[in-house]
Amino acid sequence: MGTVLQYLDQEPLRFLISFALVLFLVLNLAAVLTMAERKVSAYIQLRYGPNRVGPRGLLQPAADVFKLFTKENVSPGRSDLWVFLAAPIAMFLPAALVWLVIPFAPDAVMANLNVGIVFFIAVTSIGALGVVMAGYGSRSTFSLLGALRGAAQMISYEVPLILSLLGVVMLAGSLSFVDVVIAQGDTFWTWYFLPLFPMFIVFYVSSIAEVKRVPFDLPEGESEIVGGFMIEYSGMTWALIQAAEFASMGLMSAITATLFLGGWQPPLPFLDLGAFNWVWFGLKTALIMFTFQWIRWSVPRLRMDQLMDFGWKVLVPITLIYLFIVAAAMLIFQEVL
Amino acid sequence: MLSEERRADQSALTEPASGRLVNPDVRDEFGLETIDMNMGPQHPAMHGLLRLILELDGETVVRCDPIMGYLHRCQEKIAENRMYPAVIPMTDRLDYFANMHNEHGYVLAVEDLLDVEIPPRAEYIRVLMCELMRLASHIPSIGFLLLELGAFTPILYAFRERERIQSIFEAVTGARMMFHYIRIGGVKADLPPDIPEKIWSFIEGLEKNFQSDFVDLIEGNEIFISRTRGVAKMTQEKAVEMGLTGPPLRCTGVDFDIRLDYPYSVYPELKFDVITDTGGDVEASYRVRIAECLESIKIIKQCLEKMPEGAVMAEMGRRIRPPEGEGFGRVESPRGEFAVHIVSDGSDTPYRVHYRDPSFVNMQLLQEMVPGHYLPDIMPIMGLVDPVSGGWDK
Repeated sequence: MGTVLQYLDQEPLRFLISFALVLFLVLNLAAVLTMAERKVSAYIQLRYGPNRVGPRGLLQPAADVFKLFTKENVSPGRSDLWVFLAAPIAMFLPAALVWLVIPFAPDAVMANLNVGIVFFIAVTSIGALGVVMAGYGSRSTFSLLGALRGAAQMISYEVPLILSLLGVVMLAGSLSFVDVVIAQGDTFWTWYFLPLFPMFIVFYVSSIAEVKRVPFDLPEGESEIVGGFMIEYSGMTWALIQAAEFASMGLMSAITATLFLGGWQPPLPFLDLGAFNWVWFGLKTALIMFTFQWIRWSVPRLRMDQLMDFGWKVLVPITLIYLFIVAAAMLIFQEVL
Repeated sequence: MLSEERRADQSALTEPASGRLVNPDVRDEFGLETIDMNMGPQHPAMHGLLRLILELDGETVVRCDPIMGYLHRCQEKIAENRMYPAVIPMTDRLDYFANMHNEHGYVLAVEDLLDVEIPPRAEYIRVLMCELMRLASHIPSIGFLLLELGAFTPILYAFRERERIQSIFEAVTGARMMFHYIRIGGVKADLPPDIPEKIWSFIEGLEKNFQSDFVDLIEGNEIFISRTRGVAKMTQEKAVEMGLTGPPLRCTGVDFDIRLDYPYSVYPELKFDVITDTGGDVEASYRVRIAECLESIKIIKQCLEKMPEGAVMAEMGRRIRPPEGEGFGRVESPRGEFAVHIVSDGSDTPYRVHYRDPSFVNMQLLQEMVPGHYLPDIMPIMGLVDPVSGGWDK
């Protein structure tokens, strides 16, 4: 799709088309992911999962969306209506926007920003705002607690997330996603997940926390605060929140694949698919998404204090120490390289 | 702002809190307030219809008032208006995860009044069914504990096993949950001929899966350990003081088990251990339940091996009219001591029936232990008590 966009010189048109493409992609991704989630969970749990709508149940997301469109949009009587209705949008937009800077293939990036990583950090931070808005706007004790948890968690885990990105930036010497991917080369042992293994793990764990999934789904905490910040939502507002969750999950997988697993680069040079290298990007993203789901259905949830301890006392020190090691190694080996 | 008496009251309740709570003086100085939160009765983790009124200081629970009664069905009053055998199906509706034990307890109380000789085969069948029921209750309760901690998968493994037990029950009694199988003087019918074989194959399958599905999957999980260890830690004295029975009591190290301490039926003839643990917390109660499942399997095997031939119903008149007096029966249900006290006035119907249900009594733990813990700790504590709505509300 990027190759097509290259021929469009008019910037506004290019932007509009890019954004339409991103919206199309993200919404479909969210739908596909709901299906994947249900199937993966079903196979983990000795069930079949949805298998009634369409061939092998593949049309289930369509049925879900149709159902959600027909649902009434209920808002609590005492809610702060504007905040309540704006919150799902504030959650969805950041998750969709960052897709603009993700390189799918060498030329297929909708906006090759030279500060793509900074853009990613800045825009995903807005997601926490959406959670707080949802919790505050609903005027319910449960959602307030969920929002407070969400804000604390997302802000805390952004620190190790950003710190672990520093390692990538140092190695690649660039803030652009495209440059990072090119710098990783087309052999899997030169991808950054090996030299930056601790940071890869920290980034992976923090990104699970950022997208609020088990074991870090405290803002939802379905067993104690029953959905947390999204407890009062229904119909399409709820669907938008769900789409935001799945889109940000897909986004985090894509970012992990791009920054640590070599993006569109094939694992070995002879596996180069030329124009079809986006397949590699898709496979890597799907692999990370699958591990997200695997974890989601296997482990229990942490408690708030344990979550904070883990973030600040384990992840941040590990990243800082390893950052120092990387810097030292780069300084020492600079002459060799 | 908290009133003076509330604060005094609160310090009594929050004794185990030790350092977690914000000092009330600090709270007042900065004008901080606690929030009241109403959890339930419609709440996914409340094991039925339980309502907790919580006072929260941030994430810390300052006060926890359990409110019961949303499933009250006047079971004791209804029993006064039904003839003795007709009360048995009502007992099925008490603790709907331990139906066999309810029937057994009630029937023991009536037989205490009647002074009737039960055929040994009937006794063995009763024990066999009760131990299967214990498995069918303990295994899901482990699953529920994990479900409430946020792990959704173990409950489905647990229900797979429960489903197999239920199909055995269905073959034996004709019902999956509301059995009406244990009758005054024996059991309703003999086991169908293929049932021992079915139970053997079920036990073989369970023993094969048990370690991997319910022990390795759960116990090896760091998050599970950190969420349960030290939560609701009780001393033996505290547990006895609160009147706990069953796994919540035994996890503190008190080896109280009705099956051995007040033996009934054929339990004296069977070899099994009372499982205790020294932890006294949620993790210990989980381990107790796991080990009790293995003990139940042992008992089931012995029952199948030792089961004598013969009648399954005592010779007695069709009309049951016990003499005036009082009858008492107690059994070890999966949740603790289930006891029935019947007062007879010599007529067809009981004069008064009282059920002592372990869910109701063990629920005291909530008010005592929850304050001082964090809000998400309520869920594992509920898993420790493992109450059943039909039990506490009767």
